[in-house]
Amino acid sequence: MSLTDVEVRSKGRQILYSTVLIALSVPVLMAFFMLILSSFANQMVTNFDFSKVTFTMRNWKLLFQGRIAITGGLRENVFLYLLNTAIVALGVASVTTTVGTLSGYAISRMKFAGRRFILLTMLMLHALPGSILIVGVYFLYRLWMPTNLNALRYFSFFYVIVARAALEVPLSVWLMKGFFDLLPWEIEWSALVDGASRFKTWAKIMMPLIKPGVVAILIFGFLAGWQDIIYVRTFLIDKTLATFIESNLEAEMAYMPLLAAAATLYLLPTIFFYISSQRLLFKVYAGGIRR
Amino acid sequence: MKGKFSRKWELWAFLAPALIVVLLFYVVPLILTVYTSFTPLRNWNIQRYATRLVGLYNYQKLFHAITNDPSVRAVFLTTAVFVLCTLTVNVLGGLILALLTFFVDKKTNFVASTVWLLPRMSPIAVYGLVWYYFFHGSRVGTLNSIFLKLGLIDRPIAWGQEFVPYGPWSVIVFVNGLVGVSFGMIVLSSAIKSIPGEFVIAARVDGATDWQICRKVLIPQIKWHIMYVTTWQLLSLLTSYAHTYLLVSWRLVNKSYGTPWALYVYDLAFTGVFDQGLAAAAGTLLVLVGGLLGLMTLRILGFGKLMVEPRGDI
Amino acid sequence: MRRWLLVALFCVTVLLFAGIEDSIVQVGRALEKNGINEVRYAVWGSGDPNSVLRVLGIVEAARRINEIWAKNGINVKVTIRETRYELDFTQMYQEFLSKQPLGTAGDFLVNSYVYIAPLAEEGYLLDLTPYLEKHREILNNFFASHIEVAKYKGKIYGLPQDTEARPFYIRKDIAAKVGLDLQGLDEKVLKGEFTWFDVYEWAKKAVQTGASEWGLIHRRGTAHPDLMQFILAFGSKLYDPVDGKLVFDKEAIYKWLTIEWTFAREKLLPSDMMAWDWAKQVHPAIVDGKTLFDIGGTWYWTEWQTKDYYTDPKTGQMRGLKPEEVEQWFYYTLFPAGEPGKKPVTLSQPFMWMVSSKAGAQNPKYSALKSVYDELAFLIVAKASDPDINAIHSIISAHLPVGKPSAELLASKEWLDKLYNLEVDLDPGVKEKIAGIVKATVNPINAAFLSKVSYMLEHTNFPPVHPMYAKLAAIFAEVVDYVLRGQMDPAKAIDYAIGKINADLDLKAGVKIINDIPKDWRFGGK
Repeated sequence: MSLTDVEVRSKGRQILYSTVLIALSVPVLMAFFMLILSSFANQMVTNFDFSKVTFTMRNWKLLFQGRIAITGGLRENVFLYLLNTAIVALGVASVTTTVGTLSGYAISRMKFAGRRFILLTMLMLHALPGSILIVGVYFLYRLWMPTNLNALRYFSFFYVIVARAALEVPLSVWLMKGFFDLLPWEIEWSALVDGASRFKTWAKIMMPLIKPGVVAILIFGFLAGWQDIIYVRTFLIDKTLATFIESNLEAEMAYMPLLAAAATLYLLPTIFFYISSQRLLFKVYAGGIRR
Repeated sequence: MKGKFSRKWELWAFLAPALIVVLLFYVVPLILTVYTSFTPLRNWNIQRYATRLVGLYNYQKLFHAITNDPSVRAVFLTTAVFVLCTLTVNVLGGLILALLTFFVDKKTNFVASTVWLLPRMSPIAVYGLVWYYFFHGSRVGTLNSIFLKLGLIDRPIAWGQEFVPYGPWSVIVFVNGLVGVSFGMIVLSSAIKSIPGEFVIAARVDGATDWQICRKVLIPQIKWHIMYVTTWQLLSLLTSYAHTYLLVSWRLVNKSYGTPWALYVYDLAFTGVFDQGLAAAAGTLLVLVGGLLGLMTLRILGFGKLMVEPRGDI
Repeated sequence: MRRWLLVALFCVTVLLFAGIEDSIVQVGRALEKNGINEVRYAVWGSGDPNSVLRVLGIVEAARRINEIWAKNGINVKVTIRETRYELDFTQMYQEFLSKQPLGTAGDFLVNSYVYIAPLAEEGYLLDLTPYLEKHREILNNFFASHIEVAKYKGKIYGLPQDTEARPFYIRKDIAAKVGLDLQGLDEKVLKGEFTWFDVYEWAKKAVQTGASEWGLIHRRGTAHPDLMQFILAFGSKLYDPVDGKLVFDKEAIYKWLTIEWTFAREKLLPSDMMAWDWAKQVHPAIVDGKTLFDIGGTWYWTEWQTKDYYTDPKTGQMRGLKPEEVEQWFYYTLFPAGEPGKKPVTLSQPFMWMVSSKAGAQNPKYSALKSVYDELAFLIVAKASDPDINAIHSIISAHLPVGKPSAELLASKEWLDKLYNLEVDLDPGVKEKIAGIVKATVNPINAAFLSKVSYMLEHTNFPPVHPMYAKLAAIFAEVVDYVLRGQMDPAKAIDYAIGKINADLDLKAGVKIINDIPKDWRFGGK
């Protein structure tokens, strides 16, 4: 629910708040705008000195050809990398959301021994960065990896998705629990009394009510998978756009505007995903059961 | 009604995915990491080093470094400042943005939230690159060129290298802060969205201004979420280094005052030599410290309040 | 059982009879006998964009082997299933390190020689020594010094792929303005008659008379490798092969830092040099004639041609330099001696063809035929070391040839013309991929530069191949930055550096600190 759903706002107030919002966002806007601008230029646009800057579509042409420099370099399939990144990101998003909503519900609604312990552990686990866990995760990968190269490729995707999603599970559990907690007990009670199973209640009644929370965790999960570099570089046999950019982001030899184009390409799907998930979100409750 | 047996089954069905995933990819690796801290593992050579045990040697190396490194005092100070300041920026910023987006129209709301998500969407190296140019110490830098044009300064300033330690601290707090703000913003605005409309309408009927609605209706309703965001960000910040890594390695920021503890640990173990035994020891230490601080925070904020007893059992 | 015997017999035969082509044929027959018709390898290489022959050279080598097999009626072929090329060679090394034990790394790795030590130490590389004993003629393709740095604990783990030198560039036009006579200056530097004391005087003159904005520009970000030349130029060393320790020579380092300090304080060198941006500040300053001296690398010569760093005064837009302009404006010498009485130096960081100890593991019957696959892998890098491949790589990437045979090719105008028209014996796919680079870089001026600068290889040094070296280099980078900015004077910087060394137990054990800060040393004092 946003305020505009429940009342008519004065134009003046709106403009005031919007201006403040935009003013706060200026540094981020400026910095990223320059990045995007640089992707259309022959050098990185970093200040307001445009005297020697020429604008060109060359970087984008080169990027779509999978080149890393103006002369030299080999051609790579950037679109394949984009697809690989998407697979990882969507995988992480789904796993995190599924796992979090299931367990968040149980912890919020059911009394059982060890409940506090699980919650506390999840919180503490969050203090572990992936870079520290990597050695252990590597051990396990080595233990379980298949020998056939093709099977290994698919296994690696699966492994990276689940391992990376695991890092977001504590967040997911806590967040979902928090959202479930806000829901009044009466709804469930009526469903359960009518003979519905716990699972049906969860799926058909509770989940739709916490859509904002679900969207939040979908976004976090997607971003976590989309942005991941450490797990992807260590385990994935294929390349993602993130590893493509990072392995070519070399201070001395890189042609930066081309990397700026790659970075811009990298941002676009995430924005698209964000838009789509926002659309999923809105349903206005003007009253009814939530009294 | 339900028998005890099927209830247990239900419980397990709901919890199992999370427990399995966390066990396999968090708990077991953690144990393995702690184990590794007692081995001389390096260069990923598990075959050779994994079965050798060297006792507390890695911890000795670690403590020796801590007590003898001339820049370590700076690192501790930096970590404290970094965590506290960035935490404030993150939580306050997230709250302010969540509140503001509540009051504006959907379009502005959407544009603003997308912009603030950009830091989280970028690959980490690219994020660092963007701020590298923004804070560059010469005329090439965006901030310098703006201030020079406005006449606020008469020569370019190396923001990350001058006015030590405040310069480097400001840069790393700012750069990291922007990433964390989106976390609070998303969580808190989702929480606000979940508040039933009636509360706001009722407050308006009573003649509340926007600010009073915030104070009396919105913020109290999302107290749990604010507490959660604060604790969560605190733990994240203790162990984060990734976003400022590039700034230090590309020499934008003074190394001693731009290196929080987590980055110091990373440098020690992952740059130069791939001393994974040492990295594991440092990581274990980080975990213990992080865990302790987390527990302390929970005490202060009232962990009990976070743990509302479930009301859903028949 | 019988199969094993056959394989063993073939291996023994192969081992006994030398001659690369014979070995290739033997290996091919062995594979064919075992029902293998295709062998697949992956090659990983990295570095600047023009050095694609680091991976394409392997593709070409595979083609040459396939041709030999076809000629001998052997129905086997080598396919290079993956050619991976990236700019950041440190990151590629890190990825190789984590994936090699899993068997998912490249079968060939082309990277800096400094990684031979840690990789060989962990057993990740194939020992090439036995094969080289058998085929001694291959070693004739390389300079002896470069084979030495491919060794670890006496065994050879790589074949030199390319090398480079670090010239000291001098702007001819600015030198003319201040009256610096460049005629025979490289000889003077060579003899130790032109030292950093002289560099200082001329830099001062250039800046004070307004002939150029700066007297000196050098690399940014890291002190290694270019700035380590200072330590060598004061007659010291970075590594003691006798006890295997790194050396921290307080006297030499003090002198080096004093030079940095003095140049920065007198505004001959930017105080924020370590934070300059390569593309927006460093290279443009050099090509726009904003500095008299520059500590650089041989590849700068074509870097300035292929990237837009130069602001054309006529159009106000940025463009690459023409080869004629580079030759017209830049003079080059060895890195001058630190002070009178010392010798000039230069530094090289050769890249090596390395073979993974698990090369070919993805192919059928690997465990039974491992020795055959290993030998085939060696033969591939041996073929990739053919002088013509090295010569082509040298000129298109502005690296130096690794041996006399390839240097001779570079000196032949006829061969260069053929190369420009792509009339060389290369795989058509490879030819197509390097066509653009060839057009942009192959010309007599660039080839002449490579020949003329090659003399520096006789005076070259190699940074230490020591596991702790990277950590030590990081400390140097930090103190140089503090010294340039004026935040620490040289004496304080040395104390700080020693503090950091002693704080790291591994470094403390691996580094020995020698000599003392000289008491009455005045920079420039004559």
